[in-house]
Amino acid sequence: MQKEEFSQICRELSSGSNHALSGAILPVVEEHLAFHNKKKLPVIWLETNDSGDNNIAFMNTTYPYLGRVFTEMIDLLYSNTFMAAQGRGALSILEQVSETYKGKFTLIVEGAIPKKDNGLYNAIARTETRFITALEAVTRLGEMAEYVVAIGTCASFGGPTAARPNLTGSAGVRDVLDREVINVSGCPVNPDWFVGTLAHLLMYGRPDLDKLGRPTLFYGFTVHRHCQRRSYFDNKDFAKKLGDIECMFSLGCMGPRTSADCPYRQWINHVSWPVKANTPCIGCTNEDFPDGSSPFFTPMPKKSTGKESGKNTSSQGGAKL
Amino acid sequence: MSKQRVMFSPVTRLSGLLSVDVMLENGRVTEANASGTMFRGYEWIMRDRHVTDAVYLTQRICGICSLSHGAVASYLLDELYDNELEDNAQYLRNIMFAADFLQNHIKHFYLFSLPDFIKMPERPPFHGQNPADTRLNPEDNQRLAGHYFEAVKAAQESHQILALFGGKAPHQHSFVHGGVTVAPTADKIEQALALIGNISEFVKSRMVPDTELITRVYSDYFRIGITPWQFLSFGLFRFGAKNEMFLWRSGVLADGQLYPPQLALISEDITSSWFDKTGAEEIKPDPFKPGAYTWVKSVRYAGRYFQVGPLARMIINGFYKGGTATMDRIYARTLETLLLTELVQEWLKDLKPSHPPVNQKSTPVKKEVTAVTDAMRGALLHTALIEDEKVVKYNIITPTVWNFSPKDGHGGRGPLENALVGTEIPGQDMLFTILGRTIRSFDPCISCATHLLDCKGSVKAKVVY
Ligand code: SF4
Repeated sequence: MQKEEFSQICRELSSGSNHALSGAILPVVEEHLAFHNKKKLPVIWLETNDSGDNNIAFMNTTYPYLGRVFTEMIDLLYSNTFMAAQGRGALSILEQVSETYKGKFTLIVEGAIPKKDNGLYNAIARTETRFITALEAVTRLGEMAEYVVAIGTCASFGGPTAARPNLTGSAGVRDVLDREVINVSGCPVNPDWFVGTLAHLLMYGRPDLDKLGRPTLFYGFTVHRHCQRRSYFDNKDFAKKLGDIECMFSLGCMGPRTSADCPYRQWINHVSWPVKANTPCIGCTNEDFPDGSSPFFTPMPKKSTGKESGKNTSSQGGAKL
Repeated sequence: MSKQRVMFSPVTRLSGLLSVDVMLENGRVTEANASGTMFRGYEWIMRDRHVTDAVYLTQRICGICSLSHGAVASYLLDELYDNELEDNAQYLRNIMFAADFLQNHIKHFYLFSLPDFIKMPERPPFHGQNPADTRLNPEDNQRLAGHYFEAVKAAQESHQILALFGGKAPHQHSFVHGGVTVAPTADKIEQALALIGNISEFVKSRMVPDTELITRVYSDYFRIGITPWQFLSFGLFRFGAKNEMFLWRSGVLADGQLYPPQLALISEDITSSWFDKTGAEEIKPDPFKPGAYTWVKSVRYAGRYFQVGPLARMIINGFYKGGTATMDRIYARTLETLLLTELVQEWLKDLKPSHPPVNQKSTPVKKEVTAVTDAMRGALLHTALIEDEKVVKYNIITPTVWNFSPKDGHGGRGPLENALVGTEIPGQDMLFTILGRTIRSFDPCISCATHLLDCKGSVKAKVVY
């Protein structure tokens, strides 16, 4: 039931002398609840070329903890990391559920997609006769999915996997699919950004995205904008060495051109983040990470141009200062 | 069953992508080819970068053991720049390192290994489980299944300790060359003590008894997946101003003798790996190479293969007196987890509230350094050759390369393949169950194993004590 419809019923029944409101509304509310309780996102999660850090980060989710994510938010139908099935059995599940939930499942891709040599640098599985490459699997499942979510910077933009010289021709998911990809970047992703995106898909559908396909909810402002050390920056009071409490710009901080809510949200039950640990932000949510951030400890104007980057970045990420 | 070839793919519940090609004859495994099916080329990525980037960038090799790469890169830079470490820096480093071990081992036992032995609830992501050999009584089974999500929380709290001092996790920020950038203050120490208290409670009241129950009910696995007595460890937890002291010793255990590792005796072989050397000056990836079956290279010490990991550490340090089978590997990992919870508590109490204990020197005194440590899964080595602080060559040998070595030029198998060959398979429905248990007892991590390149000639003659 939509909000308007609900208000309509309320209006119609509010003037009635028979006080029928609750009688009319309750079944609808119950149906609504039952529907929502039943409604979990069917999810297929493919691991491709990355370090597995994003599913490790995902396990650190708090409120909701992982157990609740599994029981109330998603049906994780295929996952190389979590599933109890294995071998041929796991592969048949993938074939089966992708057909059963065609057009309804959310495809999560963790890792970049090697494109060189027909993608032979990553096989998500093998049969006796051939390799099922990440390129093939993501292309096929990407067409069948309702939503495609890239988790982490490798899946979003190529990330460290596609760093120069990018021997494997790796690229983000958006480069192999002709459709919208929701990029939840980060190296690794903050679990809140990812679980929050799933929650948005589940409760309200597609979230608003920035021009790099990232939910503005989490990537709408730069790190610099809300950094606790912003007053030091404004006073040109810069750190001389790692461990200092002043602004980390002098030590390579990428905060001014990195979109993420790290200063507010922080990491692992919200205990800290890189600048709070007296080190620079290295811009891990960016389209050109890591090439555009390195050398990590060199101030931004003197960093490498990213020209020798393995990937072709179309634009510089993020919102304004 | 007569002769048969079976492809076990994907081997789920691990880090990275693994397939195992198995040959069976009359119900026995006669050959096994373990195939890591992802390649990223990290040593190439490291080239031409400022060498201090290594601490952050090499952590991206692996998500589950990221700090171990940051740690060994920091040791390497300490030597390269001739840094002096403060005591507090070493304590903080070891606390963070151990916290990363804890989350890894807890996740490994409960999330990856336990579903091999108990019946999980029939809902995603546990649907489609093969219950062919689940032996626990219903009450025990239900209790252990209930510990699955408690384990997730304990692992999260371990990462929380790491993030408290390290900024974030995975891929922490504060454990850098010259020390640690975060001040150990009373509030942080207290917060970490509270967290390790919870974790310790979980390990004592859940993980240890759960492991013991599994070892009792599946005691036949003390006779399955046996490997020869060839163990190697580079040692773990450094102390001293120059990282010169180890808390847990290094060693090469062979023919009943324990030797200090000599790095010059380490060699690599690409016979069965998708790398090519013909004509090229250096090794190049070649996914079309005939006869090859994996992105993992073979690594040998004095021409022989060695098993690395918690069992190797526990045996070399005299903490474990059991054997070398599948269940020994599982048991040793839990034993190590218990020891680490105690160490973290001690170290936190030894920390003195202070300024951030970091002192980085800025001019390298060497051009080439090899640094080693043990990571969760075993021995880890980084070597860097630099010119003007820029990386000319960076080489990495990870634990999974030792354990998941494919056949070398002489047809010799690595530890995992050896452990699988000879395994009896009583029935077809038991095949993946039995193989899966043994494969996972090595805690495979393929993302870390399958990125490396030429290490020839760059490991110097160096002995690790
Ligand atoms: S530390 Fe970084 S993000 Fe914070 S104010 Fe300075 S430059 Fe901006």
